[in-house]
Amino acid sequence: MIFKATNSRPRPALRRVRTTTALRPLRHRLHPAAVEEIPFRAGDGVRLGLTRIDTGEQDRPAVLLLHGHTASADMFLLPETRNLVDALLDGGYEPWLLDWRGSCRLPYNETGQKYTYDDVALHDIPEAVSHIRARIGDRPLFVVAHCIGSLTLSLSMTAGLVPGLAGVVSQGVFLTPKLAGRTSLRMSLAGELLKSRIDHIPVDFRKVGLWSRYTPLFALASRRASCPDPTCQILHNSAWGTGASLFVHEHLSETTHGRLAELLGPAPLWILPHLRRIELARSVVRWHDTDLRYRTLPPNALDAAARIDTPVLLLSGSENGLWLDSQKLCHQVLARRQPQLDVTYAEIPGYGHLDTFLGRGAALDVFGHILDFLDERR
Amino acid sequence: MREVNEDASAYARQRATAEAIERGGGGLGVNDLLAKVAPTAPPDQPPAAPSGARRPDTAAEAARTAGSGPVAGPSSATGSGAGAAVLRPTGSGGGTQWPAGPDGGFAEPPLTGAGADAAVQLPTGSGGGTQWPAGPDGGFAEPPSTGSEADATVQLPTGSGGGTQWPADSDVGSAAPPPSGSRTASSDARPTRSDTASAPPPPTDPAAYTGGGTLPIQDTGGGTLPIQGTPGPLPTQNAEDLAAVIAAMAGRHLPEGHLSPDADFFDAGGSSVNAVELVAELEDELGMELDLDEVFADARPRSLARRWLQTTGATALPAPPLRTPLPPPTAPAIVLPRPHAAAPHTTARREDLDQILADLALADRLPFTGSPEPLPPRRILLTGATGFLGSHMLLDLLRHSDAQVYCLVRASDQAAAVTRLGEALRSYELPWSSEVRRRITVLPGDIRRPHLGLSDDLWHRLAHELDSVVGVAAAVDFLRGYPSLRSSNVLGALTLAELAATGRPKPLHHISSIAVFNEVGITSMGEEDPLAHVDRLIAGYDQTKWAAEVALRRARDHGLVVTALRPGGIGGHTKTGAYNPQDLSSGLISAFGRFRTVPAFRYLNAAPVDWVSRTAVGVICEPDAWGFDYNLTGVPNTLDDVVRDMALGGMHVRVQDWDEWRADALARLEADPVPELTFLARVLQSPTALKLCEATLKGPAATMDRTAALTEALGLAPAARYDARAQLRTFEKLAHDGLARLPHKDDQPYLWFSETTEGGVRPIGTAAPASPCATDLTLSIASMHQLVTERRVDARGELRCPAVHPDPLTVERGDVWIRPEEGIPQQHGLRHQLLCYRLQLRDADGGRWWLEGRKYARARRDLWRQTRALSIEIGRAGEVASLAGEVVVPADSYVRDQIDGIKVDPRLTSQEKRAAKLTWLAWFGLEMGRGLLGPFARAAADLLDLRRPQTSTEHNR
Repeated sequence: MIFKATNSRPRPALRRVRTTTALRPLRHRLHPAAVEEIPFRAGDGVRLGLTRIDTGEQDRPAVLLLHGHTASADMFLLPETRNLVDALLDGGYEPWLLDWRGSCRLPYNETGQKYTYDDVALHDIPEAVSHIRARIGDRPLFVVAHCIGSLTLSLSMTAGLVPGLAGVVSQGVFLTPKLAGRTSLRMSLAGELLKSRIDHIPVDFRKVGLWSRYTPLFALASRRASCPDPTCQILHNSAWGTGASLFVHEHLSETTHGRLAELLGPAPLWILPHLRRIELARSVVRWHDTDLRYRTLPPNALDAAARIDTPVLLLSGSENGLWLDSQKLCHQVLARRQPQLDVTYAEIPGYGHLDTFLGRGAALDVFGHILDFLDERR
Repeated sequence: MREVNEDASAYARQRATAEAIERGGGGLGVNDLLAKVAPTAPPDQPPAAPSGARRPDTAAEAARTAGSGPVAGPSSATGSGAGAAVLRPTGSGGGTQWPAGPDGGFAEPPLTGAGADAAVQLPTGSGGGTQWPAGPDGGFAEPPSTGSEADATVQLPTGSGGGTQWPADSDVGSAAPPPSGSRTASSDARPTRSDTASAPPPPTDPAAYTGGGTLPIQDTGGGTLPIQGTPGPLPTQNAEDLAAVIAAMAGRHLPEGHLSPDADFFDAGGSSVNAVELVAELEDELGMELDLDEVFADARPRSLARRWLQTTGATALPAPPLRTPLPPPTAPAIVLPRPHAAAPHTTARREDLDQILADLALADRLPFTGSPEPLPPRRILLTGATGFLGSHMLLDLLRHSDAQVYCLVRASDQAAAVTRLGEALRSYELPWSSEVRRRITVLPGDIRRPHLGLSDDLWHRLAHELDSVVGVAAAVDFLRGYPSLRSSNVLGALTLAELAATGRPKPLHHISSIAVFNEVGITSMGEEDPLAHVDRLIAGYDQTKWAAEVALRRARDHGLVVTALRPGGIGGHTKTGAYNPQDLSSGLISAFGRFRTVPAFRYLNAAPVDWVSRTAVGVICEPDAWGFDYNLTGVPNTLDDVVRDMALGGMHVRVQDWDEWRADALARLEADPVPELTFLARVLQSPTALKLCEATLKGPAATMDRTAALTEALGLAPAARYDARAQLRTFEKLAHDGLARLPHKDDQPYLWFSETTEGGVRPIGTAAPASPCATDLTLSIASMHQLVTERRVDARGELRCPAVHPDPLTVERGDVWIRPEEGIPQQHGLRHQLLCYRLQLRDADGGRWWLEGRKYARARRDLWRQTRALSIEIGRAGEVASLAGEVVVPADSYVRDQIDGIKVDPRLTSQEKRAAKLTWLAWFGLEMGRGLLGPFARAAADLLDLRRPQTSTEHNR
C-alpha cells in the first residue's frame, strides 16, 4: 500500500476559449521599467515574443538577439552572470530579444502546432526585423544569433528577406551544418523509433517523474555521465538523446546549472525530418518543395549565399560537441565559393556550444569578439 | 590595528637597527640597541611571539592612542582611505561585531590575533557583491575611489553590473581616521626608508632595498665581497675608472642609453644579444677578454672591472689571497668551505652563497602578522601578468572568481602599463576586451623596487585593501647569475611578503619552481621532500628560486600564510597553442622535431600552461588550500612516451646520449643557423646553463600527491600527460613561428605511391570526338599531420594529352584534397565531392596550364567506378577551361599501384613502415567510405520522409 501513490497524473489543461498563448515571464535583473515586452505576432499570425531593453537613449544601434531552438531570450539575460545584454548595454547598444516559435517560453515545442524551420525563416525573423526597423528608423541593426536561430537566419538572409543588416554574428552553425556521424545516426534512429510513441523529448526530470514513458531516454542519457543531475545528463551528456554534448560542464556556474531545465525546454520530435535533411546535405535546405507559399526561400541556402549583403562573424567554441567545426567549414566554403563576402571566423578556445553565452566566463572570452565586431561596424 | 602598527613599525625599527649594526654599530652599544628595540617589543607582548588572542587592554590602548595621537595630521586623510577598508567600529549590519574600545572608537582587525580574525574584515559574504557596510553612524569607510591622490593612477571598480558597490556617501570616513598601519608606517617606517633612499646608490638600483647607507649588495647581511677592505694589489681607483668606462660602453647597448656602474646590465633591459655585442666590443676596444659566461653571471660594470683586474692581477702576481671573506660582524661565524678551483662548475660560487645567505636573513625582518580571513579573494594583487604563466593566471582568476585583479606591470606610467599588458595578453592569444579591462586595475610598478615602486600612499592602501597577493613575476633566464637575478626573484618575493604581512593579513601565493630541486643527483622531488643543497645549485635561476622559497618559508614563522606553487616545465596551451618563446622546453621541442633526435632524458616534468594556471588559481581561490607547497608538474613524460608521441605524429626520432645530442644539435645549429633558436644554442654553450639542463634531464619524476588530492577535491581537471595531442597546437604554432619545422613537401616523403589514369577530353561545348588523355602521377604525403589537418596529398608527375600539347606536360605543383569541404555538393543535389585534384602544368614550350579534376560520389550502384573516375577540366593559366573530359584509373592497376605499391620512407624500420602503410590505408579507406555513404544516406532519408507524416500528439499534458 505504501507504494501506491496518489493520483500523480498531471492535471488536464483547460481548453483555451478566451485566452491566447502567453509567454512565460523573463528572468532578469534589469529595472522592470527598462524591459519593454511588445505584443508581437509572426507573419502567419503565430504569437511570438519580442522584448526591447529601453536605455533611454535614442541614438543607439540596435542588436537583435536570436536564441537557439528550445532555448529562449532568457539565455541572453542570465541574472547570475555577466550576460550579453549587460555587455551590449555597456557597449552602447540597444538590445532587442526575439522569442521565435522554437522558444521554450512559448508552448509550441511541447503542445502547439507543428512548424518547420522554413516558417521561422519566412515568418518570424523577417517580421521581427521589420518591426524593429519601424521603431528604430535608420539606425543600424545588428543580429547576434545562436545555433538554430543562426541557421534559420541564414535562410532568411539568402532569401533576401532581411536586407541591409549592419552585421551578423553567428554562433555555432550557419550555412553548413555538420553533425558527428554518431549523433546523426542516433538522431535518425531515435526519431524513427520514437515518433509513433512520443512527440517531444522533455528535459525537466521533475516534470515527468521517475517512472514515465521517457524513463528509458533518461536512462540512456545517464550512461557514462559525470553529473548526477538527470536534466544535465540529457543535455550535457546526450543533447536530447542524440549523444552530443551541448556545453563544457565546468563552464557553467552552479546557478545556471541548476536552472538548465528553465533555460532549455523540450525538443519536438517532429522537427527531426527537416533537421535531418539539412544535416545530411551539409547545407541549409528548404523543407517545403511543393508548397508555393515558401517559394521565396531558396532550395539551398548555400547556393544562394551570394545574396548575403552584410558582414558576418562566424563564432564557435573549439570544443563544440554538437555542430563540431561547422563554422570553420562554413568559412572555408564561403571563402572558396563566395570570396566577395565579408566573412570572418573566430574560434573560442576551450568553449563548447551553449556555454559561449551561458558560461560564467563568457563575458571575458566570448563577448569581446562580438563587441569588437559590432564596434567596427556601428 | 595595534598589532599592525606595531609590526609595521617594528619591522622598520628592526631594519633600522640591523642597518645600524651593519654600518658598524653607529656608536650604539648593545644597551642602546635594546633600548631602541624595546618600545617595539614590550615584554608582555613581544612581536616575536604573536599572541593568539587579542587583549582588551591593548585594544583600549589602541583606542586611546587613536584619540590622543597625532592622527589629524595632513596625511591622515589619505591614510584613512586605506585603513578604513578594514575597519568597522560598531554596529555594522553584517553581523560582524567588533570588540570596541571603551570609548567606542574603532577596534582593529588584529593582525596576529587569530581568534578574532574570522569575524573581522569585510563582510564580503553578505549580499551580492562587496557591499561596504555603511553603519548607522556612518562612521566608516571611505571607498578607495573617493580617497586619495592615487586615484589618478588607479582605476577603481565602478559599480556597474553587480560587481563591487561602494557606499555613495563616505564623508564620515575620514572624520574618524583610524590609526592604521599607514599612519604609523608613514611616521615611523618612512623616515627610515627615506634614509635608505637618499643613500648614495641611485634609485634605479634595486639593491637599495636592502638598505645600508653604502652600497647595499656588498654591505648588507654579511655578504662581503672579496675586494672591499681587502688590502690587495689591485688599485681600487683603477677598478672604479674601468667600471665607469665599461658602464659607458654598456650604456650604448641599452634602451635607456646609460648604465650605472652598480646596475645590472640585464636588469637595465639588456638582452643576451646585447651582451654578446658588448663582450665583443670590450675585447675590441679595451682588450678585455671576458668570458661570456662571466658576464651572464654578474653583469654589473663594477664587478666586471674587478673581475678583469683580478684575472690580470692574478696572472701578474703569484698568489695573493684575494678571496678572504670577512665573517659578518653580527652573523654567526660560519666558515663556509671554499669551492674547489679544480671543478669550476660543480658548486656554487662562494660570493653567490654569501649573498644568498644575506638575502635569506632579510626574511627575518618581516613584520609579524595574523591569519587571513578564510574567504575567496575579492581583491587580488597579481605580479607578472605580462608573462606567460601570469597572463594565463590573470584570465583564470577573472573567470573563476569575482575578484578585481590589480596587475603590477613594469612601465613608466599607467597608459604604458595598460598597453603593455594588452599586448602581452594578445600575444598569448588571450582576450583583451572591455570586458576584461573592467575587472582589472593596472598599477605601474616594479617588483625590484622598494614597495614595488608604488607611492607610499598606494602601497598602504593596497596593504589594507587587498585580500590576496599572487607573485608570478620572475626573471626567467638560465644564463644570468644570482646577483643579476636576485632583485627580481628574491627581493621581489620578499617585498610581496612585506606587502602581504603589512596591514590586513593576506595570503601570499608564490610561484616557485621545480628548479628548487635542480641538483644533479637528487633522488626525489615530492612536495614535502627536502630542497636541493644550495651549494650544488649552479645556475643563477635555480639559486634565486631556491632562495626565494626558503626565505618565504622563514616568513611563515612570522605568521604569514605562504603558498609555494612549483611548476615544472610549462608547456604550450593545449587549445590555443600559445607558448613561451624564451622557454627552454619550447626550444628543446623545436630541436627534437627539427633534428629528429632526442637526448636520453629520464623524465620531462612538464605540464601545459592551461592546467598549471587553472590549478594554481584553484589554490588561490580556496582558503583551505592556502599555505602549503604544491608541485604543479603534471604527469611526467618518460623518454618512451615522447618517442612514441613523435612517431604518432609521423616524426620518428632517434635517441642519443645527452653529450652526443648536444654536440650534434650545436653543430647543426651552427651549420644552419635558425635565428629563433639562437637562445637554445647559447644555453647549450653555457656551462652553468648546461648544469641546469643536465639536472633537469637526469632528474627523477616529480610527484604531486597534494596537488592531485586538491584537484580531486575541487573537481578540477586532473593532471594528464602532456602528450602528442595536447602538444599539437603548440607544435603547429612553433612551426608557424619558425622555431620548429613541420615536414615539407620537398623533404623525403613519408609515404608515396603511383597512380595512372586513362581517358579522353574534348573541347568544351563541342561534340568533337574525344582525344586521348592520360596522367602518370606520384602521390605522396610528407607526414600524417598534413593528411589529418589539411586532408591533402601532394602530387607530382606528368600529363599526356595531345589536345593540349604533343609532348607530355610536367606537373609543377599538384594537390589532391580528400573529401574537400566535407563533400558538400557544388550545386544543390546528390553529387557529393569525393576527391579534388588541382594541378599546375607546364608544357615543353614553357606554356602554363591548369587542370582541375573531381571524383564524385552519387547514390548509384557503380561505387567501384565512382572511386576511380575523375572528371577533369583543363585550361591555360589565367583563362577559363577549354577542354573537359573524364579519366579513369584502370581497374587492374588500382590495387597493384595504390595498395601493394605503397612505398614508405626507407629510413624507417620495417615495423614503422608497416604502421605507416596501415595508418594511411585505414584513414583513406574510412574517408572514402564516409564519402560514398553520404548520397545514399540522403536518398534513404528522402524515402523515409515520403511516408505519411506522423500526427500523433501526446495527451495528458
